[in-house]
Amino acid sequence: MSEVAVAGRPAVWRGWLGTEPRTAAARPDVRRALQLGLAAIWLLDGVLQYQPFMYTKAFGQMLAGTAAGNPSAIARPINWDATLVEHHLVLINTIFATLQLLLGLGIAFRPTVRFALAVSIAWSIGVWWFGEGLGGILNGVASPLNGAPGAVIIYALIAVLLWPADRDLSAPFVAARAVGAHVARALWLVLWLSLAYFALTPDNRAPQALNGMIAGMESGQPGWLSAIDRGAASLVANQGLAASIALAVALAVIAVGVFLPTPVAKAALVLAIVVSLVIWVVGEGFGMILAGGATDPNSGPLLVLLALAYWPFKAVSPSTGAASVLSANAAGELAR
Amino acid sequence: MTPDWILDLLAALMLVVAAVSAARLVVARPWRHGSVIIDSDVAHLLMAIAMAGMLAASLQTLPDTGWEVIFGLMIAWYAFRVVLDARATGVRALAGGHCAPHLVHSAAMLYMFLAMTSSAGAMAGMAGMSGGSSSMLMVSDPTLAFVFALILIGYSIWDIDQLSGRRYSLANARVSLAGVRTSVPAMAGAESAANTAFPGPSRASAVSDASADTATGSGAVDGHPVACDAAAMAGGNVVGGAFGEFLLSPAVTVGSRVTMGVVMTFMLLIAI
Repeated sequence: MSEVAVAGRPAVWRGWLGTEPRTAAARPDVRRALQLGLAAIWLLDGVLQYQPFMYTKAFGQMLAGTAAGNPSAIARPINWDATLVEHHLVLINTIFATLQLLLGLGIAFRPTVRFALAVSIAWSIGVWWFGEGLGGILNGVASPLNGAPGAVIIYALIAVLLWPADRDLSAPFVAARAVGAHVARALWLVLWLSLAYFALTPDNRAPQALNGMIAGMESGQPGWLSAIDRGAASLVANQGLAASIALAVALAVIAVGVFLPTPVAKAALVLAIVVSLVIWVVGEGFGMILAGGATDPNSGPLLVLLALAYWPFKAVSPSTGAASVLSANAAGELAR
Repeated sequence: MTPDWILDLLAALMLVVAAVSAARLVVARPWRHGSVIIDSDVAHLLMAIAMAGMLAASLQTLPDTGWEVIFGLMIAWYAFRVVLDARATGVRALAGGHCAPHLVHSAAMLYMFLAMTSSAGAMAGMAGMSGGSSSMLMVSDPTLAFVFALILIGYSIWDIDQLSGRRYSLANARVSLAGVRTSVPAMAGAESAANTAFPGPSRASAVSDASADTATGSGAVDGHPVACDAAAMAGGNVVGGAFGEFLLSPAVTVGSRVTMGVVMTFMLLIAI
């Protein structure tokens, strides 16, 4: 066996990085894992913002486009922001990209996780308004397939739910730890029911609406993804109403699933993950990342991350006193 | 188009990483008896120089073919190390090991040289390869570029989390490497080294933890630990005093890896 011996001289460069309690990092909890997932998506988002497309006038025009159809109180600031971006494109876009990159790094770096999450919430709300026109929820263009109710607001929601605090130590799932189970379930219900509602709006249930939306994703995509899009589009051709109803029912089942007994809740969460992935691949075309014009990965991966935050824990076994995942998580968090 | 000054800035950052890696090699004095050759530093040095050349045409050093051969060899080397690691630790070799990230980095570099070279003709060249504008970076297969980017992001985020936790310290733990085969250099794991550096209830327990991590975290095959990021030199073989110790700390290795991972992700995604 190898022999490992420690020299007697104390290390000079220990500092605070080397003096944290062992338990904190030795056993990363589920919430921390999900925070890292959020950090990864922010990092991806930030790097995508450096793409050549974002340094063209098209970026400003894209921002301005989100104002259309919104009430003037919402639209005016969007237009002002779009004009500002167009006039100082390089500077502002670089700041946007760098900030988002730093949010990802900040969430991943333990000492700055709270600060980064707090900034991410404020930033997400700002971008939801100025960059996404409130996700199109007021102008009728929102659809579960195009990222409604705005991918960036889901960043904020996840940041709130993954906030490193324990209001409810007996929380049955990660998302309930910071805000409590009732609030967490209510937020889940609102999100998924709103998606079900958007699936049934007149624009989205028209005979060729889904077909057109999916077919529109083909442009610029790699061959294999275009083929998937073509297949999916032909599947729902002239079936807009039926497909919308089926999608709305699935979304409604997901919405109420977290209120049901654990086995059913798990099934609903699996359905949520599957639906989110289908939306990401078919409806969002991986956020158009492969086509080179994505500002973010869109809502699909965020919805998956959100669903994982609602996955039920194992129950504590009072008779044996065995440590559950929940108690282990709580212990790890308290040690931090 | 992505401004050239951003690419130049990143090229400069890569030169800093290259300088740090070179300094680590010098400070470690691997040519002396009892020292350990740090293969990750050699890899970082080469990758950083190559990336700087890709980002800024004026920093080109070798022809593309030369880099392709180098990264091909690095892939073979790290694949061998991952297999050794996997024999000891199973899937942990991929999730928590040190060789797997280097393998992915090497593969991503080779991919960039191959994919971007093939598109360079059509795109009238790119920085560092055909002398064209850096804003014309483009890969021939965006799907593979995206997959590489996702994996690199995953490793970078994981490394940052571990860096800010307990796993990697800024201390250069001194670990003697009795029993290490000379045919497999860089045997001391950063995890083990980091553990030895953390204040624990007693030094004996720290040694015990380090041994345990060497067996379970970094892996051991036939009684020999196998991990990529050697942070440890034989006692007294470090020059430069405190700065030398800092340079040789696992945190610096991992910090370099994170920096390169993020920049590599940037290069892959802006080239889609």
